[in-house]
Order: sequence, then structure tokens, then C-alpha cells
Amino acid sequence: MAKITEKHSALSKVGKYTFEENKPKAFERKNTTESSYRVYEDGKVGIFYHWGQMDDEEGFAKAVAVPDRARPYPFEPENGGTRSRDKTECTVTDRELMEMGDAYMEYLTSNYPDFIFAGDVKAEWMRQTLTNSLGTDFSNTDFAVSAGFRFKHRNSRDLMDGYFSFSLRKPDDGTVFRTMADLYLANFGTPAEIPEEIILDMQYYGLAGSLAGELNAEALALGTSRLAGKIGEKVFADDFSLVHDAGDKECWFSRFWDGEGSVLPEDKLVLVENGVIKTGYSDKRVAAKYNVPYTRTAAHNYSDLTSPGGLNLRIPRSEKTVKELLAGRYAVIPVSATSSPADANGDTSLVLTTSLLWDGERVVGRLPEFKVKANFFDMFGKDFIGVGSDDPIYNDKQILIRVYRVK
Amino acid sequence: MSQKYRFPEGLYADIRIEENCTAQLVKFNGELVRDKMQTEAGALIRVYDGKLWYTTSTNELSEIQKELDALAELATPNPDIFEDPALKLLEVNTDERLQYEDRKLENIERERFLRVLDHYAGLCEAENAPEKTTWAATINGEYLKKSFYSAKGSAITYDYQLCSAGAWCTFVVDGQPTEGGRQFFGVVPEDLFGNEDIVKAVFARYIDYAKNAVPIEPGEYTCILSPIATAMFAHESFGHKSEADYMLNDKVLRDEWVMGKKVGSDLVTIVDSGDLPNHGYVPYDDEGTKARETKLITNGVLTGRLHDSNSAATLAEELTGNCRAQDYGRSPVVRMTNTFLLGGKDSFEDIVADTKDGIYVYAVSDGTGNSTFVLNATVCYRIRDGKICEPVRVRMLTGSVFQTLFDIDRVGSDFTMFNEFVCGKMGQSVRVSAGGPSIRVKKLQVS
Repeated sequence: MAKITEKHSALSKVGKYTFEENKPKAFERKNTTESSYRVYEDGKVGIFYHWGQMDDEEGFAKAVAVPDRARPYPFEPENGGTRSRDKTECTVTDRELMEMGDAYMEYLTSNYPDFIFAGDVKAEWMRQTLTNSLGTDFSNTDFAVSAGFRFKHRNSRDLMDGYFSFSLRKPDDGTVFRTMADLYLANFGTPAEIPEEIILDMQYYGLAGSLAGELNAEALALGTSRLAGKIGEKVFADDFSLVHDAGDKECWFSRFWDGEGSVLPEDKLVLVENGVIKTGYSDKRVAAKYNVPYTRTAAHNYSDLTSPGGLNLRIPRSEKTVKELLAGRYAVIPVSATSSPADANGDTSLVLTTSLLWDGERVVGRLPEFKVKANFFDMFGKDFIGVGSDDPIYNDKQILIRVYRVK
Repeated sequence: MSQKYRFPEGLYADIRIEENCTAQLVKFNGELVRDKMQTEAGALIRVYDGKLWYTTSTNELSEIQKELDALAELATPNPDIFEDPALKLLEVNTDERLQYEDRKLENIERERFLRVLDHYAGLCEAENAPEKTTWAATINGEYLKKSFYSAKGSAITYDYQLCSAGAWCTFVVDGQPTEGGRQFFGVVPEDLFGNEDIVKAVFARYIDYAKNAVPIEPGEYTCILSPIATAMFAHESFGHKSEADYMLNDKVLRDEWVMGKKVGSDLVTIVDSGDLPNHGYVPYDDEGTKARETKLITNGVLTGRLHDSNSAATLAEELTGNCRAQDYGRSPVVRMTNTFLLGGKDSFEDIVADTKDGIYVYAVSDGTGNSTFVLNATVCYRIRDGKICEPVRVRMLTGSVFQTLFDIDRVGSDFTMFNEFVCGKMGQSVRVSAGGPSIRVKKLQVS
């Protein structure tokens, strides 16, 4: 194989305005450049990872400078051609960001004087690129404004009572922030009763991530996954599917290529379809070693070889809104909660230190601390209710699952 | 004294430069899947005008002065800036503590890492239980050189290095995986040789656990915590509450945690010290404050808390050297360093023998701390009639910090420090260590 050079890089610019105890604390800037220089030759790759500016010639030279650290790579690098994706919708100046933060804090302190707030507003721009000497020239550019605030009631003995956050590609007139703040805080002091049937209403990234861990093709092949031997079997609910979607417009700063420069057809890989496990996910090494399907899903590892990963997980939405999925029942919004890792049987516990009861539109009040249990298989099986078609309270996708109270 | 940087007039400023080197090698089922050594350098520059901190981080160390000057343009000069109560507290220290330059990571040949890696790979391969499905041997290293310069005149440089190696196996019983292993610590790779008997015993314990653990009936139990469980308890249950930035002008918390208040049993003494050669070694914090030992609880009485300059000034207390950032890209906040519950007089055997009915918490994975703290358990045993009995599947231990510190009624003499910990707070992870002996808690919620 002739020598092939490849460069992965990420350029990011972040501005952050922070608050402590209701007052501005700092304005922070962070501009970073991160590069991975890779030189492929004779079934090996030399890798040099660098933070900061560097001349490319020097970076590639360093990638081959330490021969005993060259890593085996008996695969062809990709020639993906040219593709550029720009998801940015606007830019925000430092001054605009600070005005936004001040307006948010003014709203919180004026409307909710019984609380103490801390947090930040942040504007982040990032361009990620992949180029190689075979002709690949990829780039992805994105920008988001995010806000996150911790809150504590002045009478609380806890260090904090809760946290809410959201991200937007383009700042709105403050409606998203005010709606979220009101939902979390307006009825925080109103006691509510724990319902008989407990339905959790959460953002699903953590849950989907733990499920994805079980779909790593290497773990499936070696038998250390709870889903080993179940490819092609129906394991989960009829209406539960799981997709790696590199084109998901609702994901921030995601790339359409994987850590090895591969691109999926239509940017999608279906992992679970209507409850049936369709495939694990692999990179080139794992696919070759275990003779399993190659799914173009290598994590982005700038400093070493890849491994399977780097997923943008999406559970397809139901056609029903959250309120329609609840069908007159109440759901529990975890505000401050801690879960245990699933044990060998897939059982897990969750302590809901602070949570809110709501009907899909309106928060009824705050629940006392309680504990629930759930099972890994059941959360996506008999206890899966759905992902709403709308984004209430979190301004993001949310999953409804049934869990069981532990007295 | 002459300064390395030209600090702006009418403003406070400081510069923190970090140069680090990390190494990681991993063998998974015999294949070298990780093999990297990388270096990184960067700086955080801060300017304060009495109202707002302005910060920027850069990887271009030659640009620090330029970045500092640009930040100063954003701030409003204040002739009385050094009268600010927090800035008045800041220490002026000059010191150079470079202990590891002669053996620092980037000068260690790869072969030396590989020899240790192969040693632990051999221990994994020697485990011949039929339930063993996968194994991984690891060696990691971290070298950090940190320099701090302030407008008040501090000029500090220190370094730190730690290597760790471990052996891990996954045992699958009836299709259910259980992972177990142990990590060991030293300064250079050669410190990590040995430990054959420990690894063998750990694997035997996890195999037994995978094969024989039975469900636990959820409820309230007397619990004996092993030293590592106590260490995590000390960190999570109380340690975070000692971080004073949570209570600056919070009357409820200030009244709750007033100095001199009895907050635990007489057997409880909890200490934080950044000056110990453990994973939370911070001889000077990120405001340039020299580390000191802070007794947080002494014989059950609240005697201290952890500060940065702002919290110390607000609460009219002394600096403690606990202002830390994850890395040069972040601003520092109040954090623990090496935090531990002091040992007592009881032997572990006596504590068990004195327990009629309960749970022995041998290993934990992680935890969180609020008024209700949580410890996630990985290996537990039932105790009956003063004997450790069958393994039980416990996922979670919970309790109220306000009660549990009073419920500690036996404290062991088997004090141990652990370097395994990484602590998260406000989106930042910092290395810490924690320690403790075996302790008995009269009641914890177990599920």
C-alpha cells in the first residue's frame, strides 16, 4: 500500500457567561484546535495527536517519527470524495450572549425570588474536518447557544434542588427559557402525591447509550453483551426501534463520517427495528476479526486506533404527543436523581431525590423523595410507552417508560 | 521581584500553565488495542476587575502575554482592585517543587510500559475459570507540570506523576456478565510489578460472586463498609457538603453547617489535605494557595470546610488550598483533594463478629452526594451471627447524611488510601483520592 496521509481536526470557539448565587461571575473564552495526523503505510498507521496550531508537514512527520508506536491497520483508508455540511443558523457576539444571560437571570430572580440560581449561557461554534491524500475532503460546521441553570430553594437543606438546560441553533425571543423555567419552578413548592403507576418522562440519551453498549459487535461476538445470540430475535416492544442517525438535525456537533472516514448510506444504521435486534455496530477491525457485518461506526479517536462507537442514537418518535401517550395519566420528571448501574440481571435502581409530577402540559407539583426499580430489557419492552412527537419541558426528544416503586 | 509576565495596571490577573503527558496501553484478550503517549500544553489566563472574571485559554504558550493584554482590554481598571476582600486573602508564594523530572513519563521507554502490561496480561491469562469470557490488562500514566503566576507576585511550579496498572476479567454465568479486577498505583512502571496473589484472589472472589450471588430483600440493614466503600462514603456523603461555594450567602446551609455543631458520632473525624502524595496531590491550588490539612469533622464536631478565596472571604474563614480546575481550559472552583475518614481501634474481624445481622459492602463503583447520598455497590455479602455468609446482589445503598454520620458505631484500624477516584462537579472532573477504614453503620437503605 502506498503511503497515505490523513488529517482529522476540530476547531472550536466557545464563549461562556457564568453566574453564581444569582450574580454574574465570569466571562470565559476558549478557542481550541485539535488535530490528529495519520500516516498509513504497509498495513500500519502512525498517529500524532496535537492540541494547538501546527504545520501539517510537521504533524505528518511526527506521525511517522516513532516506528515502534506504529499501529497495525491492515485496511484501506477511505476515499469519500468531497462533502460539506453547515448546520449553523446564526452567530452570536459576546455582548449578545451576555445580554441574553443577564435577561435570563433577571427573569429568574424577579419571578422566583425564593430560589438561588447558578449556571451559564454558552455559545459554541465548531468546525470538524477530515482530509486525506486519497481525495477525502469532509467538513461539518455547527453552532449552538445553550443555557443551563442549577436552582436551590432558599429553605432547602440540599446543596442544589435541580437543574434545567436547553440548546438552540438560533436564539429565540426567550420563550423556550421562560417556558422551561416556569415549568420547573412555578409549582416546585406545591406538594404532589406519588402516583400508583409510575411513568418516567426523560431525555433518552443515557438510556439509549446503555442499550447501545450492549450492541457493540465485539461484545456481542464475545458473549459479554446481554444481547449476545439475539441478533434477528424480537427482544423489545413492537413500537421500539433504535437508529444511529449521523444526519440527525437535532444533534449538535455531530459528524456524518465515522472515525475511519466511512459514511453510511443515507447516514443511517438501524440497530433495532420494531423490537427485533437487526445488527451490532462495528468498525473495520472488529468486523474483520469476528467476521461480523461492517457497519461504518468507528468512534472518533484522535490519539489512537478507533473502536466501535461514535453513535448518534435516535429512538423514532411516536405519532402521539407526550400528553396523548400519557392518555390521562401523570408522568414523573426526574430533576435530581441517581441511578445504579444495571446488575448482571439487568436490574437497576433509581433514587428520585427531587422530581416533578406533570400531565404532559402542566406541572402539578413536587414529589417527595422515592425510589424505583427497572429492568434493562423491560424498559424497551413491556415498559416502553413511547417517544413523544413533541418536545415539552425539555425542548428535546423525551421517552416515557414505566418503572416500579421500591418501598 | 521581577515577573515573568507584564500584568495590567488596576486589575488582578493570574496565569496557569499546564504541561502534561499521558500514556495508555491496553491489551484486550491478547490484542494490543490501545498504545498511545501524548503530550499537551496550554494556559488559562484570568483577569478580574472587581466585578467580573474574564478568562481565556490557549495552547499557544508564546501568545500568553498577548492574550493577557487582550483580556485586560475587556475589563474595567479599578485602582482599588487589591482591596477586594477575596484578593486580599490570596497568598503570595514562590516555590519550585519538581519531584519527577528525572523519571517523567515522556522519558520512559515504551518497552518499560509493555513489560508491566505483559505482566498483568499474564495474570489475566493464568486465570483459567471456564466462566472467564474476556480479559483486559491496562497500564496508564500521567505526568503534570503546573506553573502559576499572579499579579500579586506568586510564581509557583510543581509536578506530579502517577502510573497505574490493572487486570480485569469478565465472567459470564448463565448469560449474565460480571466484571472484576484490581488496579495498582506507583510513580514509574516498575513500581507496578507483583500483586499476583492479590489479582488471583480478586478473580476468585468475582467468580464466586458471579456464580453464587443471590437477590437481597430491599430494606434497612446494618452495613459494614470496607475501606474503599468508607472512602467513597466520606467523599460523597459529607465531602461535597464541606465545599463552601455551595453556601456563600445561603442562610439555611450556613445555619445547618455552622462550625462547632455536632454532626456525627464521636468516632468520626474527616480530613482533607492536598499535600499528601496521593492522586489528589495539590501542593498549591489554582489560586496559588498552599495546601494544608483541613479537619472537616473532628470527633463528630464540624471544624472546617473547603474554600477558594471568594468563599473564604464571604464566610470570613481562612483559605484551605482547595480551588481547583480540571485542566487549563477551565476556571477553578472549590474541590476536594485527598479526603479521608480517620481509622479507629477495632479490627475488621471484631466488627464482623459483633454484627448479628447485616450486609458487608466489599466493593462499590460510584456514588453521589446530596442530603440523601447514594453508593452503588458491586460486591456485597450477607452477615449473620457474626459471620460473613453468601454473596448478595445489592445495587444501591442510600442514607441521609444528617443521620448516617451519627449512625457510625464501629471504626476499624484497617485505614487505607485509594487513588482510584475521579470526582465530578459542575461539569469538571478532577483527580482525587479518598480513604478510610472499615466502618459499621447502624442502618442504611439497601436495594
